[in-house]
Amino acid sequence: MFDPNVVDFIRPVPGLEREGPNMPAIIRRHRSFFTLLAVVAAQVLVLSLQITRNNHVPLIRYWAVAIFDPFERALGGLMEASSHSYQTYRHLWHAEQENQELRVQLVTAQAQIQRLGEQAGESQRLRTLLNFKTQQAFQTTAAEVIASSEDALHAAPGENSNAITAIFIDKGSDSGLSNDLAVITPEGVVGKILAVFPHSSQVLLITDSSSGVGVTLAQSRVQGILKGGTNGSCDLKYVMNEETVGRGEAVVTSGLDQIYPKGLPVGTVISATDGMIYKNITIKPAVDLNRLEMVLVVLKPPPVAEQQALNIPSRPQ
Amino acid sequence: MPTSTHRPIPVFQIHPAVLPVAVLLGMLLQALLPLKLPLAHLMDFPLLITIYFALIRRDKIYGIALGTVLGLIQDALSHGFIGIDGITKAIVGYLVASASTRFELESLPARTLLTGVFVVFHTLCLTALQHALLEAPPPIQPIAVASGLLVNVALGLILYQILDRFRRPA
Repeated sequence: MFDPNVVDFIRPVPGLEREGPNMPAIIRRHRSFFTLLAVVAAQVLVLSLQITRNNHVPLIRYWAVAIFDPFERALGGLMEASSHSYQTYRHLWHAEQENQELRVQLVTAQAQIQRLGEQAGESQRLRTLLNFKTQQAFQTTAAEVIASSEDALHAAPGENSNAITAIFIDKGSDSGLSNDLAVITPEGVVGKILAVFPHSSQVLLITDSSSGVGVTLAQSRVQGILKGGTNGSCDLKYVMNEETVGRGEAVVTSGLDQIYPKGLPVGTVISATDGMIYKNITIKPAVDLNRLEMVLVVLKPPPVAEQQALNIPSRPQ
Repeated sequence: MPTSTHRPIPVFQIHPAVLPVAVLLGMLLQALLPLKLPLAHLMDFPLLITIYFALIRRDKIYGIALGTVLGLIQDALSHGFIGIDGITKAIVGYLVASASTRFELESLPARTLLTGVFVVFHTLCLTALQHALLEAPPPIQPIAVASGLLVNVALGLILYQILDRFRRPA
């Protein structure tokens, strides 16, 4: 079996010719090293099944957890982040939907509040109007302002051409209205009916330049004619320069024009200067004629004597 | 002394029965001698057999296989974990076979140095493995390492002389 005369030489790379054709070149070249790695790895695996750590946890489980734990954590964190993002998006979407619904509800509620406020205001105005109506000796009928008109043609240079000088009310001849009936509010005189239509009437305001109201200064008892002025004010005409007129003095109707009952507030003096013969007196109307909604039409003013007999206050105390 | 050479290195053959007999005797002595001799627990017959047969066969795969088998048998007969000696002796078998293909290691000084180096390497490798895998690895004892080195080098030189009698050039 042994031949002492035969001396073999080292094989350059033992087993090289035994490897498979599909083996990668690096493994083919270092086959023995990779064999060692495989043997060591297999035995480490066997060892990991036997060795335990931390209360008899097999080492292979310990390693597996140590290897996979970071990935599981990363994946878990990613899933949690994705879930959180999705939840956040969902909540945002719901919040947006809810926001839109709430906006609609808010607009509806605001409109309702405004409507209720309007109704409350209207109710208050009507109550005031009714109280005023019951307190007066003359007969009146309530009417609603349905339109207004501006007298741009008669506006003087520099005058506010947008000043309302006439309004339309919703009562006409069918309600017993006729021309030259006084139109008032609890605050004071508004004007008189200029034209009557079947279901409406046109009212000429006291601020119109063609309007004229017989008035009396409440303190000095000086009488004059109130005419429409500029910029929504009125002018008190025919008061002599020697008369004393104080600023802020109240102006009331005199009842001499046979249109307006005596003693109704007309306005207050805002300026009074001497002119050539008569004073130049500017009156601020007692009624805000640009904000009229409800008015009273005096159906038949009582005679002045009757008013005096009824003790209608014609001079403020 | 080992020398790097480009000359052909001779390969030897040994009777097929020698390896099983040597392994059997080595394992028996490894198990029985510590009962009689206090220093016998330092001896590592499977390691010396692995070094010797890897050295004369000059085949890395053979060295790996032999080291693995002897290590696993040693682990199986001990009360330790199976695989620790298998790993260390597989590495030793691979490295000894690698060295034997590059260097002339037939002389007595070369064999002495080779055995000493790999006994220490085996001990360090075993310790490193225990530290890497075990929760409470045994402490390193330098005196035991030095004693094991001396005992195994001396035992190896004797064992190699005995086994050399059964080899023939291939």
